[in-house]
Amino acid sequence: MDTRKYIDSLFSDYEETSALIDFKEELRSFLDERIKALVKSGMDENEAFKKATNELGDMSAVADEISRKKKQEILAEMYMKTRNYMSTWRIALYILCGTVFGFGIIVAALSGFFTGDINASLGSLLVFGVIPVLGFLFLWLTQETATHEPMDWKRALMYVIAAGVFLFGVIVFIITYFEDSAGLPYAIATLIPFILPSSAFGAFLILTEKDRSKPWVKKQREEYIKRSRERFGDPAQEERFGLFSGALWIAAIAAFILLTMLFGLKFSWLAIAAALIGQMLILATFTKTK
Amino acid sequence: MEPKLSSDLLRGHTDTIVLAMLMNGDRYGLEIYNRILERTGGQYELKVDTLYSSYKRLEKGGYITSYWGDETQGARRKYYRITDKGRELYRQNMLNWEFTLKILNNLLKEEK
Repeated sequence: MDTRKYIDSLFSDYEETSALIDFKEELRSFLDERIKALVKSGMDENEAFKKATNELGDMSAVADEISRKKKQEILAEMYMKTRNYMSTWRIALYILCGTVFGFGIIVAALSGFFTGDINASLGSLLVFGVIPVLGFLFLWLTQETATHEPMDWKRALMYVIAAGVFLFGVIVFIITYFEDSAGLPYAIATLIPFILPSSAFGAFLILTEKDRSKPWVKKQREEYIKRSRERFGDPAQEERFGLFSGALWIAAIAAFILLTMLFGLKFSWLAIAAALIGQMLILATFTKTK
Repeated sequence: MEPKLSSDLLRGHTDTIVLAMLMNGDRYGLEIYNRILERTGGQYELKVDTLYSSYKRLEKGGYITSYWGDETQGARRKYYRITDKGRELYRQNMLNWEFTLKILNNLLKEEK
């Protein structure tokens, strides 16, 4: 392998500053000469290359001093890698769910048109509508993204069960309501076995949910909180800022209503614009002192 | 028992070793590397990154300067030259080392 290519690949993550170009040239002459010496001592060329490059160690510390890592690389790591989280079987399942869902809608619409009976539509929705929705839910929860870790599949399955029972309950409610002429009391009764427990279970799951944000997201959030804290100086000032803003907006809404009644919408929007300006001024006065 | 070289201990003195190599004249990167390997009888597994970290650090601190040689044939070499500040650092580090060595020896002796 060519030493120039090898060195280029070593530093491909770094911005090509003049200092780095200079260093790469220096390192190349180092490597070339080292390999030449090793070959002279009886090694074959490949062996010499291997040994010499092995002796380099980890050049990233030196490179960090000389140049910066390419910005777009870091950005790409953060935001652009979504595609990597999408495996082939996931893509297939997403598409399958979408197709089944579309099929369900079409069948429901057709059967509604041809029979004139809403229950026919609901029946086909129950099968072809609910199942893909649950599939989407499962895929969405277990999907790793650039910002979130995937949910454990067992927990995701519990969500799916809760949602499934809930959706089933909704459709049963509607069917019961339309089926009998004295529907409503019966329909309400169906809430008890399906919608009520599934809502409770769903609420339990949501309330016990853990933060699945990735480390860099958490760090970013902490930094944001720190920055906003620094901006306001002390908590008391932040509180005052909140109170002032609240008072401003209550006044703005009152003025808006009053102006609408007196002069109509043509002029009353000015109250909102004035409040926006006021909000900016409040922010400016509260953040400038330290 | 065979004595073994403590590479960690040596690595901690890379800057001083580099300065020592430059005390009697300018040298280029590989030359310093080769001399260290020679002098340690191949016992020291010196990695090139350790050495270049040291060059860059010393250069940044103004202890050494560098310039491209004007070889007419073969690859160009970059030479390093010690500055007055570097000589001073070398002498100070030598003093520190001798002093530390005395104390260390004292500490490592079996107590009687």
